Amino acid sequence: MVRPRYFFSETFTSLKRNFLMGFTAITTVAITLFIVGFFAILVFDIQGIINSIKGQVELAVYLEDNISTELKEYIEEEIKSWEETDELKFISKEQALERFKEQNQGSDILKEIQGNPLPASFEITLKDPEKVDQVALRFVDKDGNYIEGVDDVIYGRNYVRRLFSITAIVGTIAILIIIVLLLATIVLIFNTIRLSIYARRKEIEVMKLVGATNWFVRIPFLFEGFFEGFTGSILSVILLYLLSSLLLVKGESVILETMRVKELAILGSGNMIFYIYGGIVILGGFIGLLSSAIALRRYVKV
Amino acid sequence: MDMIEFKNVSKVYDDDTAALKDIDLTIKKGEFLFLVGPSGSGKSTFIKLLIKEIKETKGSIFIAGRNICKLKSSRIPQLRRNIGCVFQDFKLLPNKTVFENVAFALEVIGRPGYEIKLQVPQVLKLVGLHNKDQSYPHQLSGGEQQRVSIARAFVNRPPILLADEPTGNLDPATSDGIMKILSRINLIGTTVVMATHDRNIVNSMRRRVVELEEGELIRDQKRGVYGD
Ligand SMILES: Nc1ncnc2c1ncn2[C@@H]1O[C@H](COP(=O)(O)OP(=O)(O)OP(=O)(O)O)[C@@H](O)[C@H]1O
Ligand SMILES: [Mg+2]
Repeated sequence: MVRPRYFFSETFTSLKRNFLMGFTAITTVAITLFIVGFFAILVFDIQGIINSIKGQVELAVYLEDNISTELKEYIEEEIKSWEETDELKFISKEQALERFKEQNQGSDILKEIQGNPLPASFEITLKDPEKVDQVALRFVDKDGNYIEGVDDVIYGRNYVRRLFSITAIVGTIAILIIIVLLLATIVLIFNTIRLSIYARRKEIEVMKLVGATNWFVRIPFLFEGFFEGFTGSILSVILLYLLSSLLLVKGESVILETMRVKELAILGSGNMIFYIYGGIVILGGFIGLLSSAIALRRYVKV
Repeated sequence: MDMIEFKNVSKVYDDDTAALKDIDLTIKKGEFLFLVGPSGSGKSTFIKLLIKEIKETKGSIFIAGRNICKLKSSRIPQLRRNIGCVFQDFKLLPNKTVFENVAFALEVIGRPGYEIKLQVPQVLKLVGLHNKDQSYPHQLSGGEQQRVSIARAFVNRPPILLADEPTGNLDPATSDGIMKILSRINLIGTTVVMATHDRNIVNSMRRRVVELEEGELIRDQKRGVYGD
């Protein structure tokens, strides 16, 4: 028995007449999902900053001035063959000087430089920056000296270690916060919708006494739960949009300019913000539907 | 044909109140039966058992030859659609208008919209509430709510109509009107069971009277009267 006309008008009038309950449910969804969305943006941006800092970690392998071309090429091939290597750049002595001049334009240092005291180097970016220790060790022989042709390897050991332990903590905390928020959201929305169904349990009982089947009673409530979750999530997306376009976007543009971070929720190239919006809407509708379904299991029995 | 049959039926509530004791009774199709007895004698219990609002403790109940005690829960809605019931406490849907409350009984059985628009006003006119079809139950008097409950009970022309004190809140004139409606419904072949305290009505109608006392059936009389 398909009765879309009844179910739609029933849902609509019921929303109208149980306005206060519906309104409570919708605002609950809107506020909780807004907070979840806000944290999602925050966590994503922090993660982006962390990743970009990690990406900036690179190994500089300074070569001896008198290195032979064969040895230089041999080392280059070696480095390229490692699976940890992401990018390899060779900076010749001339390029190094060029860069140094550029970075110190107008400074007195330049006048004091005679000839070219800067060494040539390989700059290695790693796929997994946490392997930096391991890779650096390959330029050292059994006795603890640098291998032939290599003068020095630099990567700021302690700084990297500390950075990685901090990012691990921040990442875990962020994920915990999101999980707790999500759980709280689900419980809160579920309770609100459950209460609104509980408040109408007498009504449900009467419907059943007049001969309504379980599904006949359930469907309008399910529609209602879905509608409340959906509307609430749309509201939270609107709030998030306002917040992000008025406030967050300014913060992100500062981050973008100063740190050249690529993975940002709003200004990033991945359009993450739209995934967050989409996720919120799907989540809202789903929690609304599920909450009604579970609550109905308790109150709609023969 | 037997429409309703009670075989050795007892009901003991959770708090050990024995509301019905070993009731044996058959009601034929098309019969009009008054269920009388003092307050607390088990009349409402009798009616609630028939629509499976509550479950019997012992015995079997047959409706149209079918043992409803063994009914699967998925078949209960079907049973209830074939029994119109006027509840003692009306059981109207508070968030629906008078019109929608009556229409609900047709919605659940899947009647089309045009039929609902046709039937509901007719039935409301019959119980004298056609001017209040957009009111909500809380805007109605007790007697008016009772008439909505009556309208809902028979709008889908069920073969059985149960009425638990349908005139309990009505003045004599309106009561007479309701009794005329019930008689008319009975005349078209509907089996009617009416629980009542109303001595005048029972005495004037001269129908079958079944009397309960403390859960026991103490009298079953054709063309009976209310009692002493
Ligand atoms: N849900 C219940 N739980 C426990 N006892 C109940 C319950 N419902 C009714 N009773 C008891 O069962 C007995 C019969 O009640 P019932 O409602 O059938 O009486 P009644 O004849 O309809 O009375 P009235 O004329 O006042 O409506 C009473 O003693 C009542 O207290
Ligand atoms: Mg009663």
